[in-house]
Amino acid sequence: MTPQLLINGISLGSVYALIAVGFALIFNILKFSNFSHGGLMSVTAYIGYVACVFLGHYIKDLPLFVVTLVAAALGGGLLALVVERVAFRRLRNSNSSVIYYFISSITMGILMENSITIFASSNFYSYPSFFPASVIRFGALSVAIPDLLTFLFSAAALVILLVVLFRTKIGLAIRSTSFDTSTAKLMGMDPNRVVAATFFASGVLGGVAGVFLGINYTLYPQLGQLIVKGFVASVIGGLGSISGALIGAVLLGVVEIFLIGLVGAGWSPVVIFVIMLVFLLLRPRGISGVIVQEKA
Amino acid sequence: MKKYSVLVLIGVLVGIMALLAGYSPAVGAPAKEIIIGNLQDISGPTSVWGSAVTRGAELAAEKMNAQGGINGAKIKMITLDTKGDVQEAIKAFNRLVDQEKAVAVIGPPISNIGIGLAPVADAKKVAFVGSFADPRATVGEDGKVHPSMFLVQPSTVQYGEIMASYAVEKLGLKKIAILYDQSNAYAVSLMAPFKAYAESVGAKIVDEEMYGKTDRDYRTQLSKIKSSGADCVFAPNYIQGLVITAKQAKQLGLTMPFVGALDYAAPFASLVNDPEATNNIYFANNYSDSEPQLTEVRKAYKAKYNEDPINKVYLGYDKMLVVVEGIKKGGGATPDKIIEGLNKVSGLQGTTGVITISPKTHQPVGLSMVMYYIDHGVYKDLGRYVPAKHKQQQ
Repeated sequence: MTPQLLINGISLGSVYALIAVGFALIFNILKFSNFSHGGLMSVTAYIGYVACVFLGHYIKDLPLFVVTLVAAALGGGLLALVVERVAFRRLRNSNSSVIYYFISSITMGILMENSITIFASSNFYSYPSFFPASVIRFGALSVAIPDLLTFLFSAAALVILLVVLFRTKIGLAIRSTSFDTSTAKLMGMDPNRVVAATFFASGVLGGVAGVFLGINYTLYPQLGQLIVKGFVASVIGGLGSISGALIGAVLLGVVEIFLIGLVGAGWSPVVIFVIMLVFLLLRPRGISGVIVQEKA
Repeated sequence: MKKYSVLVLIGVLVGIMALLAGYSPAVGAPAKEIIIGNLQDISGPTSVWGSAVTRGAELAAEKMNAQGGINGAKIKMITLDTKGDVQEAIKAFNRLVDQEKAVAVIGPPISNIGIGLAPVADAKKVAFVGSFADPRATVGEDGKVHPSMFLVQPSTVQYGEIMASYAVEKLGLKKIAILYDQSNAYAVSLMAPFKAYAESVGAKIVDEEMYGKTDRDYRTQLSKIKSSGADCVFAPNYIQGLVITAKQAKQLGLTMPFVGALDYAAPFASLVNDPEATNNIYFANNYSDSEPQLTEVRKAYKAKYNEDPINKVYLGYDKMLVVVEGIKKGGGATPDKIIEGLNKVSGLQGTTGVITISPKTHQPVGLSMVMYYIDHGVYKDLGRYVPAKHKQQQ
């Protein structure tokens, strides 16, 4: 039973990881917790669904899955650019306090979620089955294909992000801006473009996460509220650390699954939030050890 | 400059408010209008149901208005949002009654809201007609009926007993595991009568597992159920939970029958979209899809919204029918007369059956349920089912 629980925990953790990595990316650069990411995931899940319905007449299975992912990812990227422009750019230009970023992000999240509620809440929707066999079995153990894909995409997203951050010019610009915006500006970088690029990347990840959430849990406007789990994973992993977010998310998934087995579903969230509190009190920099302070 | 921009902003906001107020139906509503409130979750976690109930009630109101209204007065429905939250629901109810002057209010299919609002509706003396199936929404803990609360579908006691009877007495399943959402009053209130009835007819509850509102992985609970030796699983949960349960049960190779509530009705099977995961499931529905009284509503709904209605649309339609019947039976469209009339509703043909409201419990009497079986994603109508114990009581 334990190896199966471990597999279940890792697969749940990989869902959290996709959320947490997109969340951590913005914290890494702008030093605030972007809760609008939840609303963005809800919207992109529906964008992917609409693309899937229209294109489902022409293509099926794996090609349809890939096109759906691309549509949601691009939609997420573009939406994130709009969010950055509308909700955060003026705040950055006026060096506003972090509390305004927080309020603005919550507001944008609610706005996006409620927009979906208006246009798509008369019924439940779900993605079609993209894969003929949805479970792979290894003796007594089993892995769901969407879980496996989520895990692979989380890992791939991290690798691509790290490559972009540490091996490309835009990555260098992002890291410089993250370290000191004023100096980066003096060195000829355009902070607006760098921040926009970061939001685009975060939106792409949000789009991919939205599709996987939709596949696993069906579509409903409040789907993005799982952002809370991404936040908990980010705290455990180390706010602002991308690799930390991934580790924290997988750890959160595994701990959650084992806790349900040990203390039951009623007590499990209590213990999880106590763990989060312990991290905040004793090791606020999380597992990864990155020290990032909220933007002031 | 800053001062000007603040003034402009305030001016724009006031302008928008004024424009919206122009559309407000509350102030100075014409005498030939009957204001009926509609309190639904429009933006919260059960917004899909809230929208469905609203659309169903609107269809009924439109039909009645097209036929000349009630004694020449047109129905005007005003919808406010509960956001899925009891406190928001109380605020919205007060606004509907005090400001919008609603003479009766249609309620949501959410037991938590019904229970929370019962004392408020009683104090305001305005009828609140809903499908909050937990009997505590209509009859208090002291056994006294809530004068303003009315239910238009079988209570969870009737419902739980019907499902327990079907599982144990009809299907012969004697060892039962239960998987339920502990944060959901509907699921919790179905459990007790189900367990009591099942045990009274010789079944044993071998495992009881729960999950929370935000949980999305039930594989640990399902693994425990798998090794519990149960013959079947009773899962009286909302649709999102049932979809996850079906997918994860398949992954774990759990093939025993599931017995559940209304939420296994369409679109459940199409949402899971996997014939193997949607197999061997029994549930009780308010109606049969083949029943003729549904045809007109289904046709009107499809023509207006270009999609098939879900079961909450029919419940919304019936709630409006019941309120209108209350107005007719009470002899007037005032809150007190409507409450008086609702106590007299008898033999009303609704979409979900023939509705008679008991003045003692404010719950419908004699409403049977239609049993369904899901066979590899295909819904099969097993006919209306009444437990032997209920037949004896009738």
